[in-house]
Amino acid sequence: MPDVVASAAAPPEPQFASLRQQSEVASIGIWAFLATEVLFFGGMLLAYAVFRKAYPLGFAEAGRETKIVIGTINTMVLLTSSVTMAGAVYAAEGGRRRLLTLLLILTAALGLAFVGLKGLEYSKEYEEHLVPGIDFAFASPHANAIQLFFFLYFMMTGVHAVHLTIGIIVVLVMAVRAGRGAFSPAYHSPVEVTGLYWHFVDLVWIFLYPLIYLNGRVG
Amino acid sequence: MAREAVRLAAAWGALMVLLGSTLGLSYVQLGSMNIAVALTIATAKALIVVFLFMKLARAVPLTWVFAAAGLFWLLIMFGLAATDYGARLWVIAS
Repeated sequence: MPDVVASAAAPPEPQFASLRQQSEVASIGIWAFLATEVLFFGGMLLAYAVFRKAYPLGFAEAGRETKIVIGTINTMVLLTSSVTMAGAVYAAEGGRRRLLTLLLILTAALGLAFVGLKGLEYSKEYEEHLVPGIDFAFASPHANAIQLFFFLYFMMTGVHAVHLTIGIIVVLVMAVRAGRGAFSPAYHSPVEVTGLYWHFVDLVWIFLYPLIYLNGRVG
Repeated sequence: MAREAVRLAAAWGALMVLLGSTLGLSYVQLGSMNIAVALTIATAKALIVVFLFMKLARAVPLTWVFAAAGLFWLLIMFGLAATDYGARLWVIAS
């Protein structure tokens, strides 16, 4: 018995027995990619952990310099975007074309808001001479450790922002395809795969938020 | 769709409560427990994302292997690094 009866509009690609198998392969593929991404971000997080242990006072002082209001609003924005993305996948499963398109556009808009706020944050940090290699000056006995923190901060959040920007573009492509009726309850694995990538980018931020913004808030 | 909407709303609420808790607790003096609390709350948020949004529990078992592999190698990287950095006496601590 076939897993899913392929609709006339979207038969599985020739190498797959059914749309369900095709969808499972796509899902496993993105999870394999995400496993490599875990290690990509993991290397940076390890560098952060090692230097934080080496320079606890400098890292705590640096953490207090980060923009906690923008950081917290951005966390809310990104968590909310994951909810709208998950809603988009449900809409695709239910064949709700208009809702799917709307939720994808909303997800991309929230992503754009995040990137915009991040840019505002970077510009404030530039004005405060907190950008290593370009303009860094900080009056503290821990200035070197603070510079190291900000190097890691710009690297981790910068790479994260690049991931998010790619995500926004892919989500918008999905929104256009959804608007044209490319997806159905039987075939919507591109939306699912996009969602898995989007949620992963959210996951990275979930761990970056306490490590960057909440560090050193006491004492 | 209604049931899914309720589930997503509940997940959003839980994520916001967790975010508020971690923000609030970061201003409470807990000593070395501050980072432990922050990372525990982050892990709770991550579990909501992985199981409710990424639907890992409903994926085929081979997907679990890939998801677990990422975590496994990450733990190996941190674990082996910790055998050195964790055991080292930091004389340059500032």
